[in-house]
Amino acid sequence: MTHQPHNTQPGQDRHTLPFPVSPAIPAVAGGFLVAAVFLLSRGSADGMRRFWLAYVQAFAFVLSLSLGALFFVLIQHLTRAGWSVVVRRPAEILAANFGVLIVAFLPIAGTVAGGSGLLYRWARPLHVTQEAHARGSPLLPAARAAEPTEPPRAGGSAAQADGHDHDAHGGLDELTLKKRPWLNGPFFLARWAAYLAIWAVCGWFLLARSTEQDASGDPRLTLRLQYPSGAMTLLFGLTVTFAAFDLLMSLDAHWFSTIFGVYYFAGSVVGFLAVLILGLMLLQRLGLLRASVTVEHYHDLGKLLFAFVFFWGYIAFSQYMLIWYGNLPEETAWFARRGASTAEPNAWSAVALVLLLGHFVLPFAGLLSRHAKRSRAMLGGWAAWLLAMHWLDLYWLVMPEAPAAAWPPALAEIGCSAGLIGLFIAGLLRLASGRSLLAARDPRLPESLAFHNP
Amino acid sequence: MAVRPASMSPSLPDNTGEIPGQRAPLVLGGLDYAGLTDRVCSIPEQPTAPPAWWATLALAAAGLAGFLCLIGYLVSTGIGVWGNNQPVAWAFDITNFVFWIGIGHAGTLISAILFLFRQNWRTSINRFAEAMTIFAVMCAGIFPAIHVGRPWLAYWMAPYPNQMGMWPNFRSPLLWDVFAVSTYALVSLMFWYVGMIPDLATLRDRARTRMRRILYGLFALGWTGSAAHWRRFECAYLLLAGLATPLVLSVHSVVSFDFATSQLPGWHTTIFPPYFVAGAVFGGFAMVLTLVIPARTFFGLQEVITLRHIENMNKVLLATGCIVGYAYGVELFIAWYSGSGFERFAFANRMGGPMAWAYWIMVGCNVVAPQLLWSKFCRTNLWVTLFVAMCVNVGMWFERFVIIVSSLSRDFVPSSWGGFSPTWVDFGMLAGSFGLFFTLFMLFVRYLPIVAMAEIKHVMPAGHAGDAGRAG
Repeated sequence: MTHQPHNTQPGQDRHTLPFPVSPAIPAVAGGFLVAAVFLLSRGSADGMRRFWLAYVQAFAFVLSLSLGALFFVLIQHLTRAGWSVVVRRPAEILAANFGVLIVAFLPIAGTVAGGSGLLYRWARPLHVTQEAHARGSPLLPAARAAEPTEPPRAGGSAAQADGHDHDAHGGLDELTLKKRPWLNGPFFLARWAAYLAIWAVCGWFLLARSTEQDASGDPRLTLRLQYPSGAMTLLFGLTVTFAAFDLLMSLDAHWFSTIFGVYYFAGSVVGFLAVLILGLMLLQRLGLLRASVTVEHYHDLGKLLFAFVFFWGYIAFSQYMLIWYGNLPEETAWFARRGASTAEPNAWSAVALVLLLGHFVLPFAGLLSRHAKRSRAMLGGWAAWLLAMHWLDLYWLVMPEAPAAAWPPALAEIGCSAGLIGLFIAGLLRLASGRSLLAARDPRLPESLAFHNP
Repeated sequence: MAVRPASMSPSLPDNTGEIPGQRAPLVLGGLDYAGLTDRVCSIPEQPTAPPAWWATLALAAAGLAGFLCLIGYLVSTGIGVWGNNQPVAWAFDITNFVFWIGIGHAGTLISAILFLFRQNWRTSINRFAEAMTIFAVMCAGIFPAIHVGRPWLAYWMAPYPNQMGMWPNFRSPLLWDVFAVSTYALVSLMFWYVGMIPDLATLRDRARTRMRRILYGLFALGWTGSAAHWRRFECAYLLLAGLATPLVLSVHSVVSFDFATSQLPGWHTTIFPPYFVAGAVFGGFAMVLTLVIPARTFFGLQEVITLRHIENMNKVLLATGCIVGYAYGVELFIAWYSGSGFERFAFANRMGGPMAWAYWIMVGCNVVAPQLLWSKFCRTNLWVTLFVAMCVNVGMWFERFVIIVSSLSRDFVPSSWGGFSPTWVDFGMLAGSFGLFFTLFMLFVRYLPIVAMAEIKHVMPAGHAGDAGRAG
């Protein structure tokens, strides 16, 4: 690091963006990109399916960064943390970025409300199934094989073996119909309205009260932030779990895994910590926070990144190993489609192996040493690597549902992700402009500035 | 500064609140280094133990004697003396095993994970909790060993070259358990002991009798308190903390694999590993609170184990209790969502079947009771805390009982359903394991330093001026 390690005079530091950046530029560019990809994908039903899956993956990625940030900020208040004050404001801005995320969710809401079933098969209105049934379409044989008391057998039905939850005529199978009370358009939209509202209110509250303290320096604001953080953390846990079930797990309406919410959460925190580390490095390069954020804070963020890499590996292993060991077809089909099978490897097997090595084994070894966490180049390198791995993890969760092999990433995936990242950055710029990027009058700021690792 | 008996300091300042920016003190009553040493060392240095200690020890030792007799009866007669039978081949034995292993999680969490998180308040309770961990793991280890039926062949579980050409089945999670639990027991013991070395040296240096000097001196390993010793000690402590942290997660994860790798409805679910770990920490903290509240009053340690410590532990209890409640809820939701008739039945049976009473005791004790702790009044009231902790102790035993017995008694085929009713030996051995636990615990509080003096001194104001109790 190029600056003083233990500076205790943040007053000399610059805390606001040095130049006005219009959020409109990335917002318009991002929106234009997504619209262009949408128009280019309109040629075929398969193309549209792929576009929507790519859009969900991109949305899950940017959403996870804000959710990870929300968790981080809540935990800092809940534990009365002192060390993290100098890095908390950028995290608060990330956690409050739900305005653009609500906008980004609207297309998903639209396609679910439209009932085309292009994204979520279960979103088709019931009359499609009833009409298919009335035409005497093969609901019966396929659905019989899906009867849960009788696990689907290989060869019992081609649709079943592919894990598809619909028959040739677009009707829903019996297993999916059993989940209809949960998996239906109106209830999905109502739930998402609640999730987004809860996250937006929490994120706004944390940022607004904290910014208020910049002006007043009132220590009671710290307590006002601390008191509701327990209940907010509880709400956070519940909403993130069901959001992960709804957004990602229900893409294959047959599959289920109780740990799936924790899996998405673990990856989200990895992604957020990577963004925070890279963001702080970028801000310092722009001349901000130079005297406040020191190698000690990077070291601690590196420790958290290491811990959550380990936690993600633990959760991913638990989910995979238990399903592999139990070997029940209704659970293994999901992993088999993602190539996590030695018996029948497919195009996704390489991606699964890259995740095993790149999202767990290598960063675990790479971030283990104290030296690595205290070196700007090494920590920044691992953060960038893990951010890419987190993106790939979501890609591997979502894109195997596409009709044709969606690997390597093509126009749809790259366009959607780039577009939504642009929108996300626009939201960050809007929140950051004119605002101090340091919680300059937080009563625990001196503790954070003086902090050093033993 | 003279040592004041606890009765002379009835009202201590309230350190549960905190003005942001000023850390609350972790040691109250104006204790300085010497005062702290006197206060803690006076417990093992009392020439005669108080009558209450003898009475508790006698009761616990009677329980232990009964436990040993019952083990003898079991081994000589066979495990038919228990209520276990097909299909409920695991019942009280494995419930007790998982219960005690769970209790044994708080110690290492406090000493390893809270150490890495720089939670300085842990220093007042870590010695206590680590000791509890080791005794709980000892209680736990007995049950799987005796439930195999021929415990004299238990060494077959170890992979050693032998003329029978027989190897343990490495694919079985039950064998992973052998390794996970024994590793955990060894590392916890090492952690406890290494952390205690400076304090043992203190007791050695203060010893008035030759016998005490020799015994404490033997285990103090020639500790002199030199800078070189401290440097190595702190390095070893940090490394052990790093090594023990994954162990906190791994032990109960592997225990959960015993269930979750099967296909039995109610057992086979992917959230089991983190859910079991959270439940273990939950149960462990409840037991620490159950023991620490009477102990601090009895030994006059209110200035060292303050209300702030109790409140912090209550917060951990509330957080882990919420995680456990979350796991119950997600299991229930996914059982419905899976659409599988067997999964749906397993949970309907738990909630409304013949053992519904056990399920609702579990929910009441583990999910409902800890909600009291949202209130600061309850978190800082010792009676409410003890009530909640006792609820959790009961609830966590019932959790394992519900998981094991309800799923085994109702599997896929109704013709293979069965029931379970415990015998007097089942109850006797459950009670007897508490006898073993409390016997060891009473010996610990009488002869060893029950508070980590050296570690507390690190977080006292005189150690780092103006830096008292950081991250308390």
